[in-house]
Amino acid sequence: CWNQETEAAVSPLQWPENGDQWSDTEEGGIDMEECGLAAMAEEDEEINIYNNETFGSVVENEGHPINSLPQLDEQPPEPPSSPSLPSLSPSSPSFSPRTKPQFQIQFPPGLRGRGRVPRGGQAMAQMFEDPAVVTTVEGRQSLQVSHYSCVLVVEIDSLFTQTRSFLSSSPRPCPSTPQPLTPKMMQLRFGANSPRPFPFYSPSSNPVLFHRFPGPVTQLHPQHRRLLSQRQPRSQRKPDWDPYCNIMSAKEKEWIIRLQMIQLQSENPNLDDYYYQEYYRRMEAKLAEEELGMRGKREPPKLTTPYVTKTESYTPVVHIEGSLGQVAVSTCFNPRRAIDAVTAHCPHEELKDLRQQRLDVLKKIEKLFMVLLDVEEGQRMKAHVLGEGEESRLMERTQRKVEYIFSQFQNPSGDEFLPCLLVSKGKRLMARLLPFLSRDAALKVLRVVTFHLPILMSRDTDESLPVLYPPLRTVIGAVTFSQLIGVLKDFTASSPDSSDGSDCLSLACQSKFGLSLLYALLSQGERLLSSDVPLEPSIGDFETWTDTVFLVASQLSQSALVEPLLLPSNLLTLFCRYLDKRTVHQLKSNIESATGHLAPPS
Amino acid sequence: LSYLFYSFFKSLVGKDVVVELKNDLSICGTLHSVDQYLNIKLTDISVTDPEKYPHMLSVKNCFIRGSVVRYVQLPADEVDTQLLQDAARKEALQQKQ
Repeated sequence: CWNQETEAAVSPLQWPENGDQWSDTEEGGIDMEECGLAAMAEEDEEINIYNNETFGSVVENEGHPINSLPQLDEQPPEPPSSPSLPSLSPSSPSFSPRTKPQFQIQFPPGLRGRGRVPRGGQAMAQMFEDPAVVTTVEGRQSLQVSHYSCVLVVEIDSLFTQTRSFLSSSPRPCPSTPQPLTPKMMQLRFGANSPRPFPFYSPSSNPVLFHRFPGPVTQLHPQHRRLLSQRQPRSQRKPDWDPYCNIMSAKEKEWIIRLQMIQLQSENPNLDDYYYQEYYRRMEAKLAEEELGMRGKREPPKLTTPYVTKTESYTPVVHIEGSLGQVAVSTCFNPRRAIDAVTAHCPHEELKDLRQQRLDVLKKIEKLFMVLLDVEEGQRMKAHVLGEGEESRLMERTQRKVEYIFSQFQNPSGDEFLPCLLVSKGKRLMARLLPFLSRDAALKVLRVVTFHLPILMSRDTDESLPVLYPPLRTVIGAVTFSQLIGVLKDFTASSPDSSDGSDCLSLACQSKFGLSLLYALLSQGERLLSSDVPLEPSIGDFETWTDTVFLVASQLSQSALVEPLLLPSNLLTLFCRYLDKRTVHQLKSNIESATGHLAPPS
Repeated sequence: LSYLFYSFFKSLVGKDVVVELKNDLSICGTLHSVDQYLNIKLTDISVTDPEKYPHMLSVKNCFIRGSVVRYVQLPADEVDTQLLQDAARKEALQQKQ
C-alpha cells in the first residue's frame, strides 16, 4: 500500500540536523509537522506494534528508546570475523546525537510497507534496534555492519534490489515463515560468515576438525540398535512433501551436528558414558545368558560418543570455528547445596541427635561405596590380560580395599554391623561386598544377620532385606555342618533384641527374607547329610540338628507362611527323613499354599 | 561437561516418556534423541490434556529445549536406579580429581 503522498515526502530524506533538540520522549524533540511527516507518524505506530509483535520489543529502557546511531570510528568488541573496515555497531549505547554522522540514510521509492522508515526520534531509534533492519548507506565502499545476530555486507546498488525482493517475497504477514531464499538473501539474513548456502560453504575448509569423524550420527550400542529396530516395524511415515526440506543443505546439517558432537568427544567413554555403556552391556549379557545358557563370551565392538584422544587440556571457554559467539560449557563443580549433608563435627557422640547420626552413617556408607566401585572395577580388569606381576599387585590392592571396607562397616569399635545394616544402602553395600569377603568374614556376616534377624526384619520398612539373600545363600552353600549348626542356634534362640520374648522363628515365618534364609539353611543341612562329604560334627551337633528340624516343622505347620524368595527342592526330602507322613503332608500343603506352586514330591 | 544424564537419557532412546514443561504443558511421546544440554526430541507426540492445548493436535514431532523441562516421566522398568547411583558416584569421583 504505497502512498504517493508519503513517497514524495520521504525521498530524499535528510538526516535531521537538529540533533541537539532531540529528547528521549516522544512528545518533545522534533516537531513532526516540521518534517512534514505527520501522516506517517500514525502509520509509524502501526508498524511499531507490528514489529514488536513479530520481533519482540526492542526498547531496552523504560520509556527511553535508545537513540543509538552507529559510530563509524568504533570497533565492536570481537566481531566474529571483521575486516579492518570500520564497523557499525547499531546497538552501541554510547551514541551521542550530536555526532555528525558521515553517512546519510536514503530510501528508494520502492522501499516501503513492512520495512522500517526512519522518521522522528523514536522511529529512527527503532530502526537501528531491530536486528533484522535493513540499513542503507551511501558511500562507495562497502561496510560491514557488525551486529550480534547478523552480519550484513552492504553494497548500495545491490542492496535496494535485495531489500525489495526480500520484502516483496513475504506475501504472508509473518516474515519468519520459512521461504525459499536466494543465496544473496541468505547472506543478508544470516550473515556472510555463518555457514553459507551450498555453493559457498565447504566443510573441507577445516580439514583438521572434520577428518576425524566418519559420520555425524550418534553411534548406538548394538544391543540398543537391535532393541530399537525390533520395536518399530519400519514405519512408512514418509510425508509426500516436506515444506522445510531444503532450507539447510546436507553439508550444513552435518556441520551443525558435528559441532555438537565435537563437544561430546571423550577420552574415557567408559567413565563418561558409564550409565549407557553399562546398562546395555548388562542387558546384552543377560539376554545372552538366557538364550544360550551361558554368558556371551565375545564382546561385540561398540562405539557410542566419538572416542578421541584429547590433545588439549580442558578450556572453560570454547570457541568453535565458524560459530557465532561462545559455546556453553557446563560443569558441575559447584552444584547447589540441596541437602544439608555437610555438618559441623560434634565432639560428643551422645549429643548428636538421631538425624545427625543417620547422616553420619549415610556419609560413611557413601565413602565405602566409592571404594567398592574400585574393587568391582579391579575385578573387571582381571578379565583383561595383565602381566603376571601386575595381576598379583592388583589382587593385593583389591584385597586390601575389601578389608578396609569390611572393617569400616563394623564401626570403629568393630563387630557393630547393625548401624550400617539397618540402612538400606548399607544392606546393598554388604550384598555387593559379600562375594569379595573371605570365608571367615562372610560367615561372620551370616551369623550377625541371623542373630539380629528380628530387628532387621522389623526395621526393614522399604523391604530391602531380600537384596542380601542371593549372596548369603552362596555363603550358606559353603558352610560346614558345624558352622551350620551354630547359625541355626542363633535362629532358634529367643531374640536378644525383642522385648516381648517372641522368638526369631515365628517372626521369620512372616518375612520373605527370614523364611527364605531359614529354608536355605535347612536345605544346606540336608545337602550335607545326603552327600558323601564327611561331616566332622562336633559333640551335640546332630542333636541340635534334629531338634531344630522338629522345632521348625512344628512352627511351619502352625503359622501362615509367606512366599519365600526361593523354595529349595530338597526341603520336603528333609522333612520326610524325620517326620511322619501326616505331618509332612500338612507341612507340604502349608508351604504350597504360600508359594502357589507345587513343591517337588517327597 | 556433565555426561551423566546425557548418558542416562541415551539409554532411554526409543522408549515412551512424558515430558512436563515449566509452563505446565505435558507431552507424551517416544524419545527420539537427546543432546548434552538435555534438549529432547520426541516423535509421535500427544498432549496429555488436548482440550487445554488444541494447537498441538496436528504436531507429530517436536524439539524441546532442555532448560524448559520440569520433569521427565520414565518407564520404571527401563531404569536401573542402582546403576544410576553408581554412575553418579563415579562422576563425583571424577569431578574431585
